[in-house]
Amino acid sequence: MIAVFLTAVVQLLLLLTVAPLVGGLIKTLKARLQIRRGPGILQPYRDLLKLFRKGMVLPGTASWVFTATPYVVFAATAIAGLMIPMISAKAPLGLFGGVLAVVYLLGLGRFFLALAGLDTGSSFGGLGSSREMTIAALAEPAMMLAVFTVAIGANSTSLSEIAKVATSTTWHFLAPAQMLAFAAMFLVLIAETGRIPVDNPATHLELTMIHEAMILEYSGPYLGLIEWGASIKQLLLMTLLINAFLPFGLQSKWSLGGVLVSLAYLLLKLLVLAVSIVLVETTNAKMRFFRVPDLLAMAFTLAALGLVSTFLF
Amino acid sequence: MGRTPSSARDPLVALLLGKLNMDLFEELRDKFPLLVSAAQAPPQVSHNQVSIALRGPDVRPLAEHLQSAYQSRLVAVFAEDRVAAESVFYNYYVFEQPAEPCYLILQAPIAADQPRFPSLAAGLPAVNWQEREIQDWFGLEATGHPNPRRVALHDNWPDVHPLRKSFPLRQVLPPFEGERHVYRPTLGEGVFQIPVGPVHAGIIEPGHFNFAVAGEPILYLQLRMFYTHKGTEKLFEDMPIHRAVFLAESISGDSAFSHGTAFCQAIENASDTEVPQRARVMRTILLELERVCNHIGDIGAISTDVGFMVANAHASRLREMVVRLNEGLTGSRWLRGMVCVGGVRRTWSSAQRDLLRDTVNQVEREFDSLVALVQSSDSTRDRLEQTGILLPETAKVLGIVGVAGRASGVDLDVRRDHPYAAYERYPFQVPVYRAGDVLHRMLVRVDEVKQSFAILRAAADDLPEGPHCAPLQPVPPGRCALSAVEGWRGEILHWVRTADNNRLERCKIKDPSVNNWAAIVEAVQGNIVADFPVINKSFNLSYSGTDR
Repeated sequence: MIAVFLTAVVQLLLLLTVAPLVGGLIKTLKARLQIRRGPGILQPYRDLLKLFRKGMVLPGTASWVFTATPYVVFAATAIAGLMIPMISAKAPLGLFGGVLAVVYLLGLGRFFLALAGLDTGSSFGGLGSSREMTIAALAEPAMMLAVFTVAIGANSTSLSEIAKVATSTTWHFLAPAQMLAFAAMFLVLIAETGRIPVDNPATHLELTMIHEAMILEYSGPYLGLIEWGASIKQLLLMTLLINAFLPFGLQSKWSLGGVLVSLAYLLLKLLVLAVSIVLVETTNAKMRFFRVPDLLAMAFTLAALGLVSTFLF
Repeated sequence: MGRTPSSARDPLVALLLGKLNMDLFEELRDKFPLLVSAAQAPPQVSHNQVSIALRGPDVRPLAEHLQSAYQSRLVAVFAEDRVAAESVFYNYYVFEQPAEPCYLILQAPIAADQPRFPSLAAGLPAVNWQEREIQDWFGLEATGHPNPRRVALHDNWPDVHPLRKSFPLRQVLPPFEGERHVYRPTLGEGVFQIPVGPVHAGIIEPGHFNFAVAGEPILYLQLRMFYTHKGTEKLFEDMPIHRAVFLAESISGDSAFSHGTAFCQAIENASDTEVPQRARVMRTILLELERVCNHIGDIGAISTDVGFMVANAHASRLREMVVRLNEGLTGSRWLRGMVCVGGVRRTWSSAQRDLLRDTVNQVEREFDSLVALVQSSDSTRDRLEQTGILLPETAKVLGIVGVAGRASGVDLDVRRDHPYAAYERYPFQVPVYRAGDVLHRMLVRVDEVKQSFAILRAAADDLPEGPHCAPLQPVPPGRCALSAVEGWRGEILHWVRTADNNRLERCKIKDPSVNNWAAIVEAVQGNIVADFPVINKSFNLSYSGTDR
């Protein structure tokens, strides 16, 4: 029991501390590709610190939904983060069907964000919420199918189980099913984390925003919580992609040595994944909003093909 | 018409044009005896303009005739307060005829005790805002205007008419009390209103955009401008001409040199000052540098608005090279403080000329790679193509000018149509497309930058020796003159009437943005809200130039 508690604490700390770093890394890499120096890799920490020290402005029209949302988003994301294998094949938490719970905990956070966007009555919030839900409704099935593909291979929807099978020798990353599901998950990752070509996290144009438009009315610590939650979600999805499809280096035992080895591999793989995200963001323009469904339909098709091919090969 | 530049090139054309203009006057005199006095002597043409004094305020029959018989374009409408001297207001209607370098200016008197004039806006939507400006600034009612609400005085202005001479410049106004602007209501199931501005995210100027949307698609857009009105035209009446040049430079910061040149040319035309050739060529070079610099910046900004940041990084770097060249040539990154009445303030050393040549060659090379980068990006093309289409018919009716017009089939360019500075020395092409989408507004910029490089190189090689400024002379009072410059955004007009003591009685400024805001309203219809920023950027209009 104590061991489980300890693993949960370790993984939680990792999530909270590494998540802003990944965001900073992506920003810095992007800046370098644009011949800019960039704000530095530690900037997200400084931003969070600044936000938590600031006062807040609450819209007069906001209800309890607006105040509850930052906590719900943060908590749901953090709990989901404890349910994925990060530095050990065995995740600290494994509740309610594993991966399904992860997907729907993220869904809960998004649901509240969308409500909060509508809650203030600002037209931008409504615009953002409607866009976010449009994209979510398309990204979620693609993500579920991709996850099912690996779940079938492992005969379980528990992520710990999937990771355990994945680290064993019977796993074939180059199997068509795995490749297709991986591609689908990568597209979902781009959409879910609000990256170009789906959303532009760096824009100041309120009319083009998706995620940023929903949280436009937030300020101070609430905004800090939401931003932090968003970066945890990004880390979580990246880790899920890495450890479900490329599990090499992931140790199956909780031990100091095992954790350190896993952590080193994780950081290395995160770096590679961050670079590929940056390359996608740099070489593409943002899509016209009504083309985003095409992209997600592609993700869905890839995932569906992956699922079918698990039975063929 | 011996002074028109194209006539200098081709005597046959000169004869034809001269005949056309004289015929035109006689025809107007015979056809509209109530408007054009039979006793009036044929007007004198000077500096590419001819002015005909009318007998009454109703120019509608004349305008219709000019339009149908000569395909004339109504370039600008503006008013002047001459109540103290002549007990009348004047409305001025500036027309241009295709392939005719001479502007035709109709001067229509409006009796001070009957402050109203018949509106042309119903048949000529292009003058919609301009006539309403006259209403607001001078208190002259545009009778029959389809939408006579306030345009220039926004909701915090009381009911005053600031450009009347009786309105003191330094007056503190009481707060506004009365009916505020009523927007067209946004009705229907699932139809929402998105008010944006006048204060925006990001560092841009104020303007209010009121969208009616059905989900994402925009049903219509209502604009409110003039939040950054600075009373510039009134200020011109209060300062000596040589200081007013600096005021002209700050009308629209990104067109400082174009506005400055347009103002100086107007004064030079009014005072018959001959600008030395060297100064003309230097002005041409600086005007083109302003164009190159802003067009490259816009190509980058359009890329930013579709999230293609690398192109923007590349464009920003190129623009910085041009801006530093500007600094090397004039001491100002935005070309301020260089133009003056009679020429330019400083001349260039041979080292500066070499700097110009080298930088132009380098930027030209790198510009090709920027264009290749943008054109090789399918995702960028997908965003720009078919976005924000302004149909050629609409553009023509609304009187759209400049880059936006040329992307929608409006073949106008002051540099070619009414040559000034040294443009007649350098051949260049005017790119015209008919597709009218964001992509083609960008392509017009790309093509123009390429043409500008050619002009710049030719001018740098050709820079004549001699003085860079005409000797300073007092400006004679009571002279009127028009001047036009093709700024990078489009046609800039300045019209002046000089007064005693080296001052101005009136200075009318027309920035191309005034015409072109109407184009945005048309171009966004049916597009999705998320595409508005890039459509807006592809026009890149000046709030400051509109509001003055």
